[in-house]
Amino acid sequence: MRRLDCPFCGARELHEFRFHKSLPAPQAAATQYQRVYERVGSLTHSEEHWQHLLGCRAWLRVSRNPSNGDVLEVVLLGADLP
Amino acid sequence: MMRHYSALALLRARIAGHAFWKPLWTGRALREAYDVVVVGAGGHGLATAFHLARDHGLRRVAVLEKRLVGYGNVGRNTTIVRSNYLLPENHYFYEDALRRWETLSRDLNYNVMYSPRGVVDLALSDDDMPGLARRGNAMRLAGIDAELLDLPALEHYVPELQPRCARRFPILGALVQHRGGTVRHDAVAWGYARAASALGVDIIEDCEVTGVETAGGIATGVQTTRGRVRAERIVFATAGHTAMIGTMLGVPLPVETHLLQAMVSEPIKPLLRRVLVYVAPGHGETYLCQSDRGGLVMGGHLDGFPSYTREGRWDRLEDVVQGALQVVPQIGAVRILRHWAGTNDMTMDGSPIIDRIRYDNVFLNAGWCYGGFKAIPASGAACARLVATGTAPDLIRAFRLSRFATGHLLDEPGYGPFPVRL
Repeated sequence: MRRLDCPFCGARELHEFRFHKSLPAPQAAATQYQRVYERVGSLTHSEEHWQHLLGCRAWLRVSRNPSNGDVLEVVLLGADLP
Repeated sequence: MMRHYSALALLRARIAGHAFWKPLWTGRALREAYDVVVVGAGGHGLATAFHLARDHGLRRVAVLEKRLVGYGNVGRNTTIVRSNYLLPENHYFYEDALRRWETLSRDLNYNVMYSPRGVVDLALSDDDMPGLARRGNAMRLAGIDAELLDLPALEHYVPELQPRCARRFPILGALVQHRGGTVRHDAVAWGYARAASALGVDIIEDCEVTGVETAGGIATGVQTTRGRVRAERIVFATAGHTAMIGTMLGVPLPVETHLLQAMVSEPIKPLLRRVLVYVAPGHGETYLCQSDRGGLVMGGHLDGFPSYTREGRWDRLEDVVQGALQVVPQIGAVRILRHWAGTNDMTMDGSPIIDRIRYDNVFLNAGWCYGGFKAIPASGAACARLVATGTAPDLIRAFRLSRFATGHLLDEPGYGPFPVRL
């Protein structure tokens, strides 16, 4: 994993981005403890919040495979909200 | 039968030639049932098995390992041991570990090369000094050795650092733990494996645990790639793959897995007597020491995002090197020889977990973040006591899994519920 595709800026070097947190499974995020602390333990899939800190500063939702570093999807955080 | 090592034995080996040396632990077959099955033959798993056999007399103990003894983080760290933590729960625990390091070679009858060369936490900014003084005071209140050095004292203690030399970020002082130092990391894995095996512990390599079998609300055994094994108690000590154990047991854990890099330079003549630790402005946490072979062992901060690749980021490697050069510029021409990464099970408060998980007879020894190696002897003893007696010793009472839900965090880094803040 060398780069991330920012929806605004295109492919940029990884050091421009800051990882914020990996997300709990959506169905598990019921209690505050689960939302804040629990993480998905998966070798193949990780949903994460990142920020393009040294770029456009957009908050991003990134799907990755943590076993080989493949980036599956990068979308603007909240783009799926109505 | 284990050979007892001594000066006399060395002499006999010299006469007898290499035929004297036998494998450190014997390859035994996997049995059908055990009192305790420990999953993971790293430092913590082997130490737990050793203490179960030695302190609690359990004779039917197995350590199941997916790969090889010492393949994981016990062989991937920077070999530093220290107990200079701020929070009481942490510094008492790590102090227990440090005391055990001091006598471990004798306890295991195996030279782990504990070298109390002094861990020097450097202050490179005005903010650093009060922070180090506070940490040192907390340690001294707990009876742990710590000494705050001003510049002349530091010059005397680490002359090779030339602390008065002009630097962009001048060195202002340091907090020193004299008993801190380094331990030969592979020897820890081998020494524990050898001592545990001599006490009858079965160490089974190339045996991956794929599931837990349950009946009537308790665990009854594990499924492995070599078949089923019945177990009265199960201990998971799987470090970087702890999150997967949570998934296996249906208990999502407050753990993210991050990479931590380390590297070693080509061997050079003796340059650095102490272990240096500091936050290099612009490059983050940096620590370096010189191995007995002469290589400069360097490490830094986490890579900064979850990963199981064991392949470090190049820009982080550069960060570590630049951080080292800021303080020890004379190593600029030295070449990096090897570079590697380990997977760290980072908890949300930076402190470990030793507790039951889901079932009354299943235990988790995990969440060691960056502190796993130095914790090994204390963790093994305390975890074994929890497993054998069912009661957690006072030393690890704060390391329970439920602390995240109840708000009793041990937030040593102090930046909230994140395993990493860059």
